Amino acid sequence: MERDSANEAPAQADALADLRLLHLADSALPIGALAHSFGLESLTACEMLTARDLPDFLPTYLEEAGTMEAVFCREAFRLPAATSQNDFAARWLALNIQSSARKPARESRAGSASLGANFLRVVLGLAEVPLAREALNASRRSASLVHYSTAFGLAGNLLGFAEERVALVYLHQSVANLVSSCQRLLPLGQSDAARILWNLKPAILAAANRSAVTALQDASCFMPLLDWGAMEHPALSTRLFIS
Amino acid sequence: MASVAQNAREVSPELCQPRRLQASLLLDFARDEIAGCTVLAASRQEPPLKVVRAFNVQDGAALAHLHNVSGGLLGGDQLALKVNVGARAGVQLTTTGATRIYRPRHEAPPATQSNEFTLYEDALLEYVPDAIIPYGGARFSQTTTIYLAQDAGIFWWEILAPGREAGGESFAYDSVEMKTDVVALGRPIASERVRLEPHRQSTQSFGRLGPYRTWATFCIARVGPSAAEWLALEYELREQAMPLTKHGETLWAVSALPAHGVMVRCVAVHGRHVLPGLQNLWQTAKQRLYGRDAVPPRKVN
Repeated sequence: MERDSANEAPAQADALADLRLLHLADSALPIGALAHSFGLESLTACEMLTARDLPDFLPTYLEEAGTMEAVFCREAFRLPAATSQNDFAARWLALNIQSSARKPARESRAGSASLGANFLRVVLGLAEVPLAREALNASRRSASLVHYSTAFGLAGNLLGFAEERVALVYLHQSVANLVSSCQRLLPLGQSDAARILWNLKPAILAAANRSAVTALQDASCFMPLLDWGAMEHPALSTRLFIS
Repeated sequence: MASVAQNAREVSPELCQPRRLQASLLLDFARDEIAGCTVLAASRQEPPLKVVRAFNVQDGAALAHLHNVSGGLLGGDQLALKVNVGARAGVQLTTTGATRIYRPRHEAPPATQSNEFTLYEDALLEYVPDAIIPYGGARFSQTTTIYLAQDAGIFWWEILAPGREAGGESFAYDSVEMKTDVVALGRPIASERVRLEPHRQSTQSFGRLGPYRTWATFCIARVGPSAAEWLALEYELREQAMPLTKHGETLWAVSALPAHGVMVRCVAVHGRHVLPGLQNLWQTAKQRLYGRDAVPPRKVN
């Protein structure tokens, strides 16, 4: 039987894109993701958050903070198409300034910015994406932060991935990093962690879908206990994590 | 036989729509350099919003009580508050009591409140209202924007109660949405987007309030001090807030904003623990930023 070479090329391109996206979302990507708990360390240190709470906590995280970050991720993804060459840098900076203003906890804000800048640097080392370089340089020049969600969205577009995939994968790796933090903070074994992450897939999908229809100005996040943990993290005397 | 009400509906359906009240309150405060105090230079008031007069407080600021003469917000109300604080003026705004969001008619749109505060150079606004209490079935949407010029500062808090707890209502409201932006020299430094729908999403989820019921947010900002000074204030306020934190009862948190301020957050099982803590931190922060005491507003209640 003859192979359909006309269909094969796009399929190969999709497969290649999927592999690259998996690579960028891998926790082994050297951006420092494993050094941040984003407030979970404080919550576990005072035993407010236990392994038993995770099946309740993590879907709520996806519904609130996850959705909000995915909205920022999508906004950054859409930025190259929505801006001209002249106003791209200004819009990129404004988007990240808005993201900073949404993060009341200093250490979590800095953590997100560290991951974002590291992520763009890694991408620039893997592929030639001039607009990503321009974004990073613009942020550096104005001493502005580059957040992880916006960096992931922008790079996702510039590398030719589909927006839906980018939002889904961003959410998946964000929550996977939290589960990984919990494994180091709580008596949570590999099997239980894998089961928790497996069971979160519908919540990840729901958050991605919600983020597709939520405007940036309307993206809400109400997680007062996580805010407390993140804002009070500097007060911990012994710390495993930077945030 | 058709009732009068039925006939009216047939003749003019719009007559039977719940009336949407639109009202605004505009307040212009200015510094009277000769008298050395702040005055309410101009106002435009539409019922039910009202300010009777501005009182002088000891540090030369003007204190005004925001009244809602209908006692609270009714379904469909669209209220707007716009406050301008002139250069070097100092203003303290408070409410005469809790802001009650009443149960609306089933078909009524949400009650909305839009607040805009513009602070000119070296102006100070202390916005210290009582709690917002959404009644059972209430739908409420509030938008607040605060613009800060060079050296302008704010002490701004909001307290959201779970409902009429004394009447056994807790998280019985339909929805509360609060959008707040603090913009310093044209750049957002704090943006909050809170949306609570207790019937759809459990407020008791660990990711949200858990066992706590009252939520408070307190933004302390002034354009001018360096990042190092804000970090020092964060540490000082955290030290002060630590003894106020009692797990299972009240949690306090403090963190520096991206620039020009710090944010304080509180969750409490009982609302009565919130106000004393806010006043405590307000006192310290005002001493540090302005070198003078915070003067809690005088009230009748």
